[in-house]
Amino acid sequence: MMNLNCRILSPGSLAEVLQLLADQNSSTKILAGGTDVVTGIKQGSKRFINTDLLVDINRIPEIKNIKKDKNKITIGAGVTFSDLCASEIISNDLPILKKAASTIGSMQIRNRATIAGNFVNNAPCADTVPALLVYNAVLEIESLTSKKEISLQEFLSGPYKTQLKPGEIVTKIIIPVPDDNYRGDFYKLGRRRAVAISRLTLAVLVRHENNTIKDIRISSGAITPIGTRFQNLEKFASRKNFDENLCRELSQKIGEEVLAATGLRWSSAYKLPVIQQMLFQLLMNLR
Amino acid sequence: MMEIKFTLNKREVVIQTEPGIRVLDLLRESFNLTGTKEGCGIGECGACTILLNGLAVNSCLVLAAQINGCDVLTIEGIAEGNELHPLQKNFLLHGAVQCGFCSPGMVLSSYALLEKIPNPTDEEIKDAIAGNLCRCTGYKQIIDAVKETAKELKMIK
Repeated sequence: MMNLNCRILSPGSLAEVLQLLADQNSSTKILAGGTDVVTGIKQGSKRFINTDLLVDINRIPEIKNIKKDKNKITIGAGVTFSDLCASEIISNDLPILKKAASTIGSMQIRNRATIAGNFVNNAPCADTVPALLVYNAVLEIESLTSKKEISLQEFLSGPYKTQLKPGEIVTKIIIPVPDDNYRGDFYKLGRRRAVAISRLTLAVLVRHENNTIKDIRISSGAITPIGTRFQNLEKFASRKNFDENLCRELSQKIGEEVLAATGLRWSSAYKLPVIQQMLFQLLMNLR
Repeated sequence: MMEIKFTLNKREVVIQTEPGIRVLDLLRESFNLTGTKEGCGIGECGACTILLNGLAVNSCLVLAAQINGCDVLTIEGIAEGNELHPLQKNFLLHGAVQCGFCSPGMVLSSYALLEKIPNPTDEEIKDAIAGNLCRCTGYKQIIDAVKETAKELKMIK
């Protein structure tokens, strides 16, 4: 019988969670869907070494809601991917996020795994990260003594590193609703369709008027060391004519950007042409 | 050790357990419900699928302490006495069971689907069982069995 050999507490309110995290030492971890934590402890992952207390946040109503006020959508950190996929607010206003969430794992995983759990360990393969980045997502982070907001891009500081400090927990994801003139899409390439770790992911969100690009946001997930926006490409495309030629130029440039970010790897001969083709097709379909 | 209470296959149960053991182990070793199988142990194969509050989950990723007060359904809980559930009958009739290792999880994922979507499309069935790996059947027989069950259950209603 496998035993994780740690204490598990299941508080019923956010206030109790914040108190437990404030009392903690480095061996306390937050447990939500368990898809990383349970397997991580079991497999002896360095990130979970010496864990002796798990704070289970599955019974905290404050972090389970999806709400829309005016032009802002707030998603509780403990919302599962199944909840996201079933939400009308998400389907109507944040379709790229819905598409990304629906590609994650399997039904069993989506029924447990949570949106904040997807990015708090900053694995490059987190599927909702490119979608959240093109939507300019902001996180609300709380501790017993503070509450602050920080953009997701800033939060993701390096591979498997974030700005989250001991005692803190991500409580909400706040997303400004893009107006009706924005269109976007998401593409994930894995080794198979379901239960696959992403090899390459891309999200694009664009607003164009009379064929001129007014705003374009392009974000990677699994291609780069951490999920990131391609600001050079975005600047290059701004105010340009949204024609096939531009789609081709951007696709070429993304290859150069990825190469600059990752260096030449054994997989580059495969990944670079594929990522170029992925971006080309995403852009052409959005024209 | 901690005491947990939960509903297991429609019966209230209470047990003293280590909080950090997996629900998979709790079911197999403390309740002798060995229909729930361990395949990969990391949430990828679905052999350990159970229904937790009506949702299909991998019991290798849920800890005993987390099911306190919850409703748990395993493969042992879906037949009515000696009468197999229509899904179980149709899995047998359609040759959807070969080695049988994936079958409990496969049946429970299909059960959760039919509770939510009584008349699923092929794509909806594939999506519901995408997290249950079968190395024997090639899946067609399984999908046929689920479709036939959907038809039967609709007629009963």
